[in-house]
Amino acid sequence: MPDFARAQLRRQWINFGLFLGPALVLLFVFFVVPVVIDLVLAFTDMGRTLAVGKLTLENFERMFTRDTRLLGALGVTFVFVLATLGIFNVTFALLLALVTTAVPQRLGAFFRAVWLLPRMSPSVVYALLWLWVVDPNEGGLLNQIVIHVFGMPPIDLRNNHPLLVIILANGFIGASLGMLIFTSAIRSIPEHLFHAARVDGAGSLAIVRNITLPALRWPISYMTIHQTLSLLVSFEYILLITGGGPFYDTTVFSLYAYRRAFESGEYAYGAALSLILVVIGTVAALALWRLMDMRQLLQPPRIEVH
Amino acid sequence: MAANHAIAASALQARPDWRALARSSWRRRFTGQSTLLAFLLAVSVPILLPYFWMVVIAFTARTGGVPSDVLWTACAVIAPAVIVYSVVHMSVASPRLRLVTGLILLAIVGSLLVALIGGRLHVDNFRFLWRADFVEELRSKATTGAQFPSVWNAFFNSLLLAVFQTAIILTVASLAGYYISRFAFRGRNVFLQGLLVLHAFPAMTLIIPIFLMLHWIGLLDTLLGVMLVLAAIELPFYVFVMKGFFDGVPWDIEMSAMTDGASRRQAFRLVVLPQVRFGLIAVAVFAFIRAWEEYIFVRTFLIENSNWVMSLYLFWVADDVMGVDYGIVAAVAVFYVLPSLLLYVFCQKYLTQMTIGGIKG
Repeated sequence: MPDFARAQLRRQWINFGLFLGPALVLLFVFFVVPVVIDLVLAFTDMGRTLAVGKLTLENFERMFTRDTRLLGALGVTFVFVLATLGIFNVTFALLLALVTTAVPQRLGAFFRAVWLLPRMSPSVVYALLWLWVVDPNEGGLLNQIVIHVFGMPPIDLRNNHPLLVIILANGFIGASLGMLIFTSAIRSIPEHLFHAARVDGAGSLAIVRNITLPALRWPISYMTIHQTLSLLVSFEYILLITGGGPFYDTTVFSLYAYRRAFESGEYAYGAALSLILVVIGTVAALALWRLMDMRQLLQPPRIEVH
Repeated sequence: MAANHAIAASALQARPDWRALARSSWRRRFTGQSTLLAFLLAVSVPILLPYFWMVVIAFTARTGGVPSDVLWTACAVIAPAVIVYSVVHMSVASPRLRLVTGLILLAIVGSLLVALIGGRLHVDNFRFLWRADFVEELRSKATTGAQFPSVWNAFFNSLLLAVFQTAIILTVASLAGYYISRFAFRGRNVFLQGLLVLHAFPAMTLIIPIFLMLHWIGLLDTLLGVMLVLAAIELPFYVFVMKGFFDGVPWDIEMSAMTDGASRRQAFRLVVLPQVRFGLIAVAVFAFIRAWEEYIFVRTFLIENSNWVMSLYLFWVADDVMGVDYGIVAAVAVFYVLPSLLLYVFCQKYLTQMTIGGIKG
C-alpha cells in the first residue's frame, strides 16, 4: 500500500472515531447494554438485595400462570391506550389541526401555542394542576363549578373515576403532538388544489373529506403507531396523579413493571415484565421505520472526500 | 351549497346584484369563522383556567385556605373582554383599529383587576426563596425525617443537570449529525436505520436495567449519572435533527474553505457550524426544557435530598404541605415553571424549524 493511501485510511479512521465515536459509545452503553442486562435479569431471581442467586424461569411462570393482578393491569392498559388514542391523540389532534389552519394564521398559531402549554410545562406542575382540578373538596376547581353552576354535590373523580382522570390528563398533552404534525402536513398540501375544488363548487366539508384527509393518510398512520407505543410505555402522569391507585385501578402494564421493581423490590420480575414491553417497542419501532421517508433519509452524503 | 344556487341564480338573471352577493358571502364567512373561533376558545379554557388558577393561588392564598372569589372575579373581568375583542377582531378589517381596541380593552381589564383584586395580592408565599425552614414552621414540628434543603440547592442542581446534559447533546449530536450528513463510510445505511429504530424505541422500558447499571458503576444517586442517561436516550432524535440542519448547508461553502487550505475539521468548526447556529439554538432550547422538566428518571436515580432537582423539590413540598398551605406549593410551581416557559415563549421560532425524515417531532 502506498504511503499516501495509508495516511488517508488513517485519517478516515480518526475522523470516524472523532465524529461518530462519542455517539456510538453513548448509544451502546445506554441502549444496547441495558437491553442485554434486561434479557439476563429476566431469568434471575434478583430481589431487594440486588444479588443474583440463581438462573430461573420462575418469573415467566409467575407471569403466565400465577399473577392475577397482571390481567387487571392489561385490561386497564387496553382501555387507557384505546380511549386516549382514539379520543385525543388522533381524533382531537386532527380536529385541532383542521380548525387552527382554517382560521387566520396568527390566531391559529396562538391556539396551537395554548395547546402546547401542557407539553412544555414540567410534568410535576402539570400533574399538580390536575390534582387541584379534581380535588374532592369543595375548593377543587371542578367542584367549584359543579357546586355553583350546576348546583350538584361535590364529586370525587380521582377515587370514583380514576381511569377517566388519567385519560383526560394524558389526552390533553397527547393531542398537541398530533396537532403539530397534522398542521405541517396540511400546510404542505399545494394551495391550488383547494382553489380548484372551490371553483368546482366543493363546500368546506367536501374539501376536508376529499383533499385534506387523503393527504393526511401517512401522518395519521405514523401518529397512530407512534402514540400507541408512547402511551403503552409512559406512565409519568399516572404515577404523579393517581400513583396507579386507588389500589391497582389505574396501574397500566408499564407502571405495573415499575411498581414491582421499585416498590416491591422485585427487580427480576420487573425486568421480565419490561422485556415484553421491549419486544413490543422493537416491533412498533420497526413498523414506524417503514413509515418514515427512507429515500430522503438514506440519500448519499454530499462530500465523500475525507 | 347555498352559494352555488345564488351564483347559478344570479348568472341566469341579466344583472346580478353584486352588493347582495358580497353581503351574503361576508355573512357566511363571518358565521363560519366565528364558529371556529368559539370552538377554539371553548376547548382552550380547560387548559388556561388551571394555569391561571395556579398563578392566582400563588399570589393570594394564605395558610389554611384558598380564596376562590379572586379567581372568579378575575374571570368575570377577563372573559367579557376576550369575547368583545374576538367579535371586534372578526368584524373589523383594519389592523390598526384592532390594535387600538385591543389596547383599550387591555387598559380597562388592567385597571378593573387592580381595583377589584389588587389589594388581595401578596408575595408571602414566595418566602421559600429566602427561608429554607418554611416546612418546619408550617408544620410547627420537625417533619418526619424529611429535612428540606434550600430551594436554591435544588435550583442549581436542576440548572447543572440541564446545562451539562444540553452541552453533551450539542457536542455529540452535532459531531455525529455532521458525519452522517457529509461522509460516506461503510455501514452508513445500517447505522442510519439503527438510529431510526432507536429513535422510536421507548427508552422508558429500560429504566430497571439502567438503574442497576448505574448502581454497579457507582453513578446511582449522582447528577452525572442522570445527565449521561438523559443525554443518551434523547440522542438519536437530536442526531437526526442536526443531520437535517447540516443537509441544508450547501457544500460549496466547505469546498471553498478546503480549497483555501482548511482541513476537514477546521472547515467543520469554522465554516459549517456557524451556518447551523439556529439549529444549535433549537436543539439547545429543546434539550434544556426536557432536562428541566424530567421527573421519572431523577425520581428513580436520585435519592439523597442534597441531590434533589426542582421537580423532586416541588413534588416533596406538595407531598408535605399540600393540605396545609396551597399557596406555597403554587408559588414553588410558578417559580419552577417560569424558566422553561420563558425559554419556550422566546425561542418558539427556532423550535418550529426542527424536522426529521420529513416528519416533524
